[in-house]
Amino acid sequence: MASYYDINDIIIEEEIVSATFQKAASGVGIDPSSETDYVEAGSKVEIPFWLAHELQLRQAVSINVPPCFNQKTRLEIQADSACVDLRSRCPFFYEFGCKIAPLVNDRTIGFLLLSAFKSRYKEVLTKAHTAAFAAASKFWAILTNEEIYLYQAAQSSMASFKKWRMGGPRFQKASVLGRKRKSTE
Amino acid sequence: MYGRRATQLVKEFASAEKGQLTAFNSDQFEQVIAECSQHHLELQSLIRKMQEEGLDVQTTRNADHYGALIHHLSLVRNKRCLMAYMYNRAEIIRSLLWKIGPVLPLEIEEKLCHLEEEYFKKHSTALKSYMSKLELDLTVDMVPPKDPYIQVRVLDDIGEGIVLSDDKTANFARHSMHFLKRTDAEQFISRGLMEELTG
Repeated sequence: MASYYDINDIIIEEEIVSATFQKAASGVGIDPSSETDYVEAGSKVEIPFWLAHELQLRQAVSINVPPCFNQKTRLEIQADSACVDLRSRCPFFYEFGCKIAPLVNDRTIGFLLLSAFKSRYKEVLTKAHTAAFAAASKFWAILTNEEIYLYQAAQSSMASFKKWRMGGPRFQKASVLGRKRKSTE
Repeated sequence: MYGRRATQLVKEFASAEKGQLTAFNSDQFEQVIAECSQHHLELQSLIRKMQEEGLDVQTTRNADHYGALIHHLSLVRNKRCLMAYMYNRAEIIRSLLWKIGPVLPLEIEEKLCHLEEEYFKKHSTALKSYMSKLELDLTVDMVPPKDPYIQVRVLDDIGEGIVLSDDKTANFARHSMHFLKRTDAEQFISRGLMEELTG
């Protein structure tokens, strides 16, 4: 369970899912297609995950599998996982997958996440050490947030290793004060 | 959609670079609070309606119940977003004290709201009084220096007559070089007014 104050966790839970209402609800304006503020039982509504999750626990809605885990994505990941643009599908592909998997009746999501991550991980690390700075931004555009974090971790560990080997000034201007100058690398 | 504004607020915070602050968005903050009051009113009116129909609010599971539930959940969600916004900002503000020292540069100070400025001042006084009780300066560099003196170059006009710890005054004109005690130089370097010379 992520921390209550976790910024990323809050953003993940804003992800929109489509849910089918099992029970009617009145006095709420969440269904843009209905003209009144009444949601009929059986209607399909797009709601954020935080709401769908709690309502599912009370058996008021059932969540449908989000489009980012559909058959098309799966086929693409099987074909060449490293080139699939996961970012445009969902910037928190893995974390969101972990949250949604126990709620929808689909046992294959876990396996999909694991196999996608394993095969992409290798590519991310290799690119982090070899890609030129100019090419990196193009590559970034298809990574999920988790993968970008890994990418940066790989690069910064290499940079601090170099810095340790070469030596350099210990004190630097605090990084909050504008861009840090390129340190001696 | 419910809770959208609050998430925008959180996203705005997340879009800043790690450890950096965005300006306090008081407009958006007020709007979310207004949204919360709106949810509260609608929640109350739904509960009242159920009571007027003579239903037991605790056990009835009708459309009004689920409507009220949705409003309740939206309230809780908005609260979480607001709390996370304040909490994470406060964390950065505390870290500023350790990184830059008790005087904030203007470009950072104008990003804080009034309460946060107050918080920063109080936190800084608390730390100061703790350090004076311990008789130890906790904000200095954690790695023991090889040499207590370092060579520095002044990058900006700091001014004349700054009293150093050995009771001497120094004139830090721009581009001048000095051989200073490490502890004296540290605060100027972290504020970006001097740089350390090596080699």
